[in-house]
Parts: sequence; C-alpha cells; structure tokens
Amino acid sequence: MRLLHYLRLWLACMRYSVVRTLMFRGDFIMWSLVELFWMAVNLGLIGVIYRHTESIAGWNQWEMTLLVGTSLLIQRLLMGFFWTNLFEMGRNVRSGAFDFFVAQPGPLLFMVSTRKIDLDGFLNVPIALGVIIYAARQLGLDPGAAQIAVYAVFIVCGLAIHYATLLFFISLVFWLQSAKGVEGGYFGLNEFSRLPRQALSGAAAVIFVYALPVTIVTNVPASTLLHGIDWTSTAWLVSAAVFWWVLAVTVFHVGVRRYTSASS
Amino acid sequence: MASFAKYRHAFLIGLQSNLVYRWNFAVRASFSLVHLAYVFILWGAAFAGQTSVAGFDLRQTLTYFIVMLILQFFISAMNEDYEVSEEIRNGLINQFLLKPINYFAYRFSIFAAARLVSGSLALLPLLIAAPFLYHYVSLPSAGWTYVAAVPALLMSACIQFTLAYCFGLLTFWFLEIQSFVILSLAIETVFGGQVFPLDLLPRWLYEASSYLPYYYQMYFPAALLTGRIGTPEEALRGLGIQLFWVFALYGVAQLLWTRGLRRHTAVGG
Repeated sequence: MRLLHYLRLWLACMRYSVVRTLMFRGDFIMWSLVELFWMAVNLGLIGVIYRHTESIAGWNQWEMTLLVGTSLLIQRLLMGFFWTNLFEMGRNVRSGAFDFFVAQPGPLLFMVSTRKIDLDGFLNVPIALGVIIYAARQLGLDPGAAQIAVYAVFIVCGLAIHYATLLFFISLVFWLQSAKGVEGGYFGLNEFSRLPRQALSGAAAVIFVYALPVTIVTNVPASTLLHGIDWTSTAWLVSAAVFWWVLAVTVFHVGVRRYTSASS
Repeated sequence: MASFAKYRHAFLIGLQSNLVYRWNFAVRASFSLVHLAYVFILWGAAFAGQTSVAGFDLRQTLTYFIVMLILQFFISAMNEDYEVSEEIRNGLINQFLLKPINYFAYRFSIFAAARLVSGSLALLPLLIAAPFLYHYVSLPSAGWTYVAAVPALLMSACIQFTLAYCFGLLTFWFLEIQSFVILSLAIETVFGGQVFPLDLLPRWLYEASSYLPYYYQMYFPAALLTGRIGTPEEALRGLGIQLFWVFALYGVAQLLWTRGLRRHTAVGG
C-alpha cells in the first residue's frame, strides 16, 4: 500500500517533468546532443588507444567497449533519475529553498530524490544499451537468461551505489554550507569506472577498488557477461550497495536535523 | 597611457576578486590530480609490453598530460562565458555602454588576472606531487620549441578567451547558453587534445583538426612544449594558422557585440 503511494507520487513528478521538457523542446534536444557527444568522446578514446595497442590490462578492444558501455549505461540512468535532484539539493539547502521539500506531505528523501527526471539522460540509455549489445556481438558472447538477469541486477546495484555516494557527498552541505566542487569530484572519480580492475594496483587499488566502489560497479557486471556469474563478486557488489546506501541515508537524516531554514 | 591604466586597474581588481576564490581553485586543482592518476593508470596499462606508442614513450606521453593539466589552469577559459552571459542578462552590461571602456579589453584584463591566480594555485598541489611526477617528466632538448611556445601560449590564451566571450555574447539571442557551452567544451576536449594527444588520430583527421581553432586552444602549445611538433617549419606553420584564428575570432566577437547591442534593451534607472 505504501509502495503504491510512492509510485503515485513518482508518477505525478514524472508527469510534471515530461510537461516541463515539452515546454523547452530546443533545450531538450541540445542537452541530448551534449550527452550523446560525451558518450562518443569516451568511446572515441577507446578507439584511439586500441589503434596503437592490443590490450589494456588484459582487456581487448571490445571487452573495454563493453566495460565503458556499462559505465555509460549506469551514468545515463543516474543522470535521468537522480542527478538534477541531488545536485539541486546542495543549492536548495544553502538558499533555504529546501523548506519546500520539508513542508511536503511525503517522505523527505523520496521527495528530494525524485522530484525531477531528465528525459535527455533517458534518451541516451538505448544508445548505451546498443553499445553493450554491439560489443557483446563482436566478442561472440551469447549470455543466458540468468546471466542477463544478474547483469540487470548489478546495473541496479551500480545505480544504487552511484546514487548513495552522490547523496553522501552532497549531504555534507548540511555541515559545509556549500557543495561546490562535488560535481567535478564526482566526474573525476567516475573516470575510474571505465578502467579494468586489473589495471589498478597498490594504493590506487586500495582507494578505487576497495575503499570507494567506483571500479567494481562496472567491472562486476561486465565480467558477468564476459565470464559468467561469480558469486564472490556478486556478494561484494551487493554488500557495497547496501553499505553505501545505509551510510548515505544515515548521513542525510543526521544532516537534516542540523538544517535550519535560511529563508524568511 | 591613461587607457592602459584603466585595464591595469581592472586587472588588479580581478586579482583581488579571484583571490577570494583561492580555495575553490586549490580544490579544483587537487581534483585534477585524481584525473591525472586516472590518465597515468590508463596509459600505463596501454603501454604495458611496448616501448612506444606513435613514436613516443610512456614518459613523453605522461609529460604531455602533465603539461596539459598545467596549461588548463594558466590559459583556459573557465567561467568567462557565464560571466559575460550573466552581465548581459542582469543588465550589468549597461554601465559599460555609458563609460569610455572597451568591454572586450575589460573582460580580457579580468581573465588574465583570473588565470594568473588559478595557474599559480594549481602549481601548489603539483609541487606537492612533484617528487612522484618528476620521474615521468621528459621535456624536449631543442631550444626553438620553448621560443615558439611563448607566442603560442599567448595566442592560445587569446583564442580561449575570445571563444568563451563569443559564447557569452550569444545571450543577446538566447536566454540559456549552457548547452552551447557544454557542447563546445566536449568538442574542445577532443580536438584540443585533452582526452588524447591528437597525433594518435588517423593522419587525415589529425591534419583536418590542425585547421580548427580548438587545436590552437591547448594542443599546439602543449605539443611544442613536449616535443610532439618535430620541426621549426611545422611550428611556424602552426603559429601562422594560430595568428589567423586570433584575428578571425576577434572579428567574430566584434560582429556579435555590435549585432547583439542592436537587440539589447537597457531597462531601469
């Protein structure tokens, strides 16, 4: 019943976002092109490097394309569902516009996270999927239904991890008064999601594989399609998703208790 | 002389106002070290098992990215497009229309001050990382590359600023310029050589890119400073095309300014 209530709220927000997008059609087309071009940049880098080398940390060109495609898919979903909402949260807390959410008759975190959706992010989801399917074809992969289902679950876990880490860092605005620089920091860290785990060693592996789950969010799903289901990796990814989710939600709620309205 | 004094004051005010944001620049520079770590890991893995890629070894390739990073903070436009856009949208530009001051020169003075601050602050995290980075630096020995790099750097800064200025002026026609700026940034990231050295592209594409202004925004001076431009003749040809783009873009900026002002309506008292 509660779930149905959430779904109704989300559908209302979605309707509002669609209407808003249709009002600014030119803007929507332009942003879709921007996102498409950035995706092409990431794939172009792979193409250029593999003109001069056979493998990167043991991954051939199409395996890397599959990895980058997986990273792009998760990022497009994050952009579509949550990016604008979380990014605006940082500014709203600072300006006092966060009052608007506090006063709404709904669960605060849900209202904060789902108020808007970005259709331009979603528009490029099929293209990211197309990249993954094309790379899989080039590799001659023929994944079974279970493999595809597990891959889909991993994508959801990856989305949850990205959402949670972003929420965690943006929630620091309750203490720091400004979340400036988080955007650049997030994109900087996200670059590591396009690296094979085997390329990282020493301190880099400790930071980007174990401490921050930036590498495993893409490596685990891509490896599932390439080599089949590995239950240790599955447990690792699911545990990381749960851990970051709990941490981010806790930090958010502790932060909200510190919030004092900045508006008049 | 009096005319120069105006812009000197604008430069000094620019220095002060940018020093207010010193922590922002320092944080941004620190984050760029994360990007540098990614570049080192990716290219280190790509070079595994081979001594050179497109005629350059790993040290030369990593030097290219380090130089690129430093240049970004010294010569690239960061917020100049949005600042011009804001001044047009909020009507702040009106005050410049009534005073004997050239808006382009005024904004360029502020840009020069901002880059001096951001460039100097970016050196701090790099100096901290220097003991580690030192092993990966391999600079060319030919003296002419450094002589050619000086005008190339100055003209790159001019191109960077003028392009951003032009995008800011689009506000005379469009309410929101962010998507134009981001799209241009994406093109610049590729054809300015920030994602990979342009000489790794297929020859025909590399040749074609060398006629675009983006090539001269960042890649050209970085290529000179890292020995990727092999001969003085090649450098001279590049400097010639770069000079053309400086004047061509300045012409576009002047055109946008005069045409834009015709559409502009100053309201308020």
